[in-house]
Amino acid sequence: MIKSHHKGFAENLLFALNIFIIFFLLFGGGIVIPQWLQPIGRLHPLIIHFPIVVLIMAMVLEFFRFKERLRTEKLYHEFTTYLWLTGALFAGVTAIMGLFLSKEQGYDGDTLQFHKWFGVSVVFVSTAIYWCRSREWYSQKIARSGAVATVLCLIIAGHYGADITHGDNFILAPVWHPEKKLVPIDKAFVFQDVIEPVFDSKCISCHNPDKTKGGLALVDKRSVLKGGKDGKLFVPGQPQISLLLQRIHMPEGEKKHMPPAGKPQLTADEMNMLYLWVKENADFKKKVIDLPPSDSLRVIAANYLKPTEEEEEQYDFATADDKLIKKLNNNYRAIYPIAQGSPALGVNIYNKKTYQPKVLEELSGIKKQVVSLDLNKMPVKDAELKTIAGFENLRTLNLNFSDITGATINQLASLKYLRVLSLAGTKLNPQAIKQIGAIKSLKEIALWDTGLPDDEIAVLQKANKNIDFIKGFKDNGKPMKINGPQVKNTAFVFTKPIELELSHPIKGTEIRYTTDGTDPDSVKSMVYKPGIIITQNTNIKAKAYKAGWYGSDIVQVNFYKSTYTPDSISFITAPNEKYSGDGAKTLIDKDLGGSNFGNGKWIASQKDLIVYMQFNKPVDLHTVTLNCLRYIGTQIFLPIAIEVWGGKDATHLKLLSTVKPAAPKKDDPFIVKGIDCQLATNRAISCLKIIAKPIQNLPKWDPVKKQPGWVFMDEIFLN
Amino acid sequence: MEKDFLEHRLNINRRRFLSRLSLGLGSVALGSLLIPDLFSGIGSDSEADFIPGIPNFAPKAKRVIYLFQDGAPSQLESFDYKPKLREMMGQELPPSVRGSQILTGMTAQQKSFPLVGSFYDFKQYGESKAWISDLFPHIGSIADDICIIKSMYTEAINHDPALTFFQTGAQQGNRPSMGSWVSYGLGSENKNLPAFTVLLSKGKGNGQGVYSKLWSNGFLDSIHQGVQFSSGENPVLYLNDQDGIDRRDRRKMLDKIAELNEISYKQFGDPEITTKIQQYEMAYRMQSAVPEIMDVSKEPDDIVKMYGPDCLVPGTYAANCLLARKLSENGVRFVQLYHQGWDQHNNLPQEMAGQAKDVDQASAALVTDLKQRGLLDETLVIWGGEFGRTNYSQGKLEKANYGRDHHPRCFSVWMAGGGIKPGLVYGESDEFGYNIVKDPVHVHDFHATILNQLGIDHKKLTFKSQGRRYRLTDVAGNVVKGILV
Repeated sequence: MIKSHHKGFAENLLFALNIFIIFFLLFGGGIVIPQWLQPIGRLHPLIIHFPIVVLIMAMVLEFFRFKERLRTEKLYHEFTTYLWLTGALFAGVTAIMGLFLSKEQGYDGDTLQFHKWFGVSVVFVSTAIYWCRSREWYSQKIARSGAVATVLCLIIAGHYGADITHGDNFILAPVWHPEKKLVPIDKAFVFQDVIEPVFDSKCISCHNPDKTKGGLALVDKRSVLKGGKDGKLFVPGQPQISLLLQRIHMPEGEKKHMPPAGKPQLTADEMNMLYLWVKENADFKKKVIDLPPSDSLRVIAANYLKPTEEEEEQYDFATADDKLIKKLNNNYRAIYPIAQGSPALGVNIYNKKTYQPKVLEELSGIKKQVVSLDLNKMPVKDAELKTIAGFENLRTLNLNFSDITGATINQLASLKYLRVLSLAGTKLNPQAIKQIGAIKSLKEIALWDTGLPDDEIAVLQKANKNIDFIKGFKDNGKPMKINGPQVKNTAFVFTKPIELELSHPIKGTEIRYTTDGTDPDSVKSMVYKPGIIITQNTNIKAKAYKAGWYGSDIVQVNFYKSTYTPDSISFITAPNEKYSGDGAKTLIDKDLGGSNFGNGKWIASQKDLIVYMQFNKPVDLHTVTLNCLRYIGTQIFLPIAIEVWGGKDATHLKLLSTVKPAAPKKDDPFIVKGIDCQLATNRAISCLKIIAKPIQNLPKWDPVKKQPGWVFMDEIFLN
Repeated sequence: MEKDFLEHRLNINRRRFLSRLSLGLGSVALGSLLIPDLFSGIGSDSEADFIPGIPNFAPKAKRVIYLFQDGAPSQLESFDYKPKLREMMGQELPPSVRGSQILTGMTAQQKSFPLVGSFYDFKQYGESKAWISDLFPHIGSIADDICIIKSMYTEAINHDPALTFFQTGAQQGNRPSMGSWVSYGLGSENKNLPAFTVLLSKGKGNGQGVYSKLWSNGFLDSIHQGVQFSSGENPVLYLNDQDGIDRRDRRKMLDKIAELNEISYKQFGDPEITTKIQQYEMAYRMQSAVPEIMDVSKEPDDIVKMYGPDCLVPGTYAANCLLARKLSENGVRFVQLYHQGWDQHNNLPQEMAGQAKDVDQASAALVTDLKQRGLLDETLVIWGGEFGRTNYSQGKLEKANYGRDHHPRCFSVWMAGGGIKPGLVYGESDEFGYNIVKDPVHVHDFHATILNQLGIDHKKLTFKSQGRRYRLTDVAGNVVKGILV
């Protein structure tokens, strides 16, 4: 227990402190704090917590002091008394420290004044109560109101104190956003709406009239121009020697770097904007749109001004009934909360066949909650806008390709939050759409493919500057190359005559073609019509033409006649395993291999490729054509020699033809080529042996050495 | 007596124990207030440890269209302008720039690494002044609508692992594809179409394969698997009724099968059975929804000029872009395109020109088309390959003919819409286009960002399989805040 003379000492000290505070308040203006005392003052934000806790505890005890049960508790009373005393003492000491601190540079303004007066009231009130609380007239009523008054003073002083150290609205900032003023780009001023907000968000918490750190405030033009104790903030036009930019560009570890380490830093965009603003002579009057369109500051500023409009949306309406949402949801009407726990709903309607006005009317139970409505391609009529106007919280409305004419568009004016309206592909009435300005909240409207002429849209844009009118793509009339005709034939090897099937995906396109190897043109070449029959080996070159387009690239296709099909076919020497296709019959399946030699339709070998065929009935054979591949880079060459042997049976074969294609050259192109072997004599043939010989020694220019070349064959035509 | 004492002491202890317990419980309850997900079921050990169909926060993008350029287009001939490489044409890649980078087997044996600048010139486009090569004039024309990221990097150096990494967040390929994760997390918007669809096309350039594992559902429910739309007569395989079966018969058959499936579900409780029922039902509804989507004959003439005439030729990239728009517009969450043929180890100038011609106009048209329908805000379009290409030539360097090998350390992709900052060029590479010098974006970061735009916290979208909870971003990934609106 504290002995009573200690108590007496403490009481005296409390008295002294009170007197000192009164003195300080009365004569504070002239007081100068010596430097060695400053650290004591700076302890104020630390020590402050002690009296707060002790005093609040004491007040709680005091509040219940006159309770029946506690009235006689000695310990309770003694404890309360000492707590009172300690609390008041510390409050006094802390207040004095605070007064010291307030004398330092950088503390000024209304917030400080409020903090000061409520702070010292805590000292005075608690001291006063301490002295009165053992008097006879001190009743429960007085005790309670005194306790409440002290706590109130504490709270208010604490609040203002926190504002000074942490900045305004520190506690509620994460949950409460004061409504941001939306500045459309065409109305925005460079300083007021771009530069100043940067100061506001990142600098002002320490550089304001209440707390002018470094003697600097950044609240208006005057204070910005004034600069701080280290001098002017900037030299217009010379960012590299401007203090402001030097400080923000210092490495973050540096002591003088701004904002100080640990505080929210400037983003790259913000730094750039400050730099460019100073570079462009730190103008205070210019509007953003006064800058040239390609000006860097304008570009960044335009971006900077945008996000303020796209703040996270807050919805203040009630959540719809879950069961109702479930009931309204079906295969063609999707209703979903936009986020977990959000009351806002999105609604998408699908399937125009099942769409009826009642699809929307049935949503009346959730009309408050719907924030986005997608009616893309639904046959929505003008009359239904009345129902839609009932969705009072609607933000986005998609009416693309609906039957809206715009006649009732002013119905939507009651939608206070509608931001995006899509009307692409509708047949809008140019007169009706002029009422669009009635929807005050509108930010964006899509008008592509609505038949509205450009100049009408320009007029609308002029009349409604806050709305972004999206015109979308417009054919500028510059011709473009049309794509080539498509060959619809699936078989290119025929026994009986077949029809040439060409087509083009774009309607009204003319296809012209040649069969003589010359390039087709738009005047002389034949026009393709269905019903053209191919009876012999034919090389088709075709080209597409359409007014307003350049002619297409040439499409080439070859047709091969193969009159005879052997009744059996086999390899005498096996081809390479990887390229053996579906066996020897791959060579007579009338299915060409195309350009991909690894697709199983090509037969290949690095040795002589020997094929043997038999006909049940002798055939009158004139030509044997081997369809071969040449692909120089991969050692695939045309055969160096082809021999065709034939006769009545296997034992009486005679050499009927030998063909030696020209030697390969280094830059021979990739080609698929039919090599014709004309047979020397016409005779009835029952057996046929064909030998295709690959190049044994690769040409000198080929990078690969010491291996033979490849022979690739996909089909043999017999005529 | 002693017994009474003992009992009393026990009672005291009991009382103390109980009061302590209540105090303890009170503090636990208080503490729990600070752990948001403690009682919500998320992150608990229960089987359903995520509630599908609900985003974590309000999404910027509702849907994604991913234009995957398969084979890895060169960043140095597209979006990363490096005049220095032209100046230093033919000179050796300084070892200090290459650092410890491991090369592929294709160039590791090369004795020389001659730097090679772009064969194609670059121009600045739009207000954003983004440098884009002459191969992509149409993409240049939408420079102010897109965000080019020049600082992507990946971990894999070969096609398959790199592609698998981009699609599934892991190189090995047993994980769900990104589209499957999105389908699992957000569900389908339109119940008449799958949430995740895949479209393939192929250019003339040197190609690399795409395989169905890239759009596999992995360990997720099979309803989240990507559904491939092909270009033939039957865009979705097995969707059409067989000859001789009409819609009513089909309906009856489905009802009967569903009854049988219900019975077997009651018996075994396998969730795949209910999935099967749902899939049959969706396929039935798709029978009417798909033909309408595939029908491009009603598209206005402007659309044909915009996407290029090839958009009417099924199976082309342009046609797939148009189809992607139609699918997306109809509520398909994730449309994945692959265009093959970007693997230019040699003959780059010529091959890349062909590839660029395939994709340039249609890619740009897709963005413009979404915009003019008011849909770009809610649709995220992504364009890019699985890695970049080296700044030195693979094989012999000739003026108009060179190749580039794989380069995972630094490459470019672009995004548009869906809450991504338009008209932005993000990240920087060094003057050799070899290393990133500013704002690197890892594949995991890229995934985290995409999910974020869809309203999904990438750390919360998990699925427990074989004793471990998996995420698309594995155990990494940061949302790239710098590119968000």
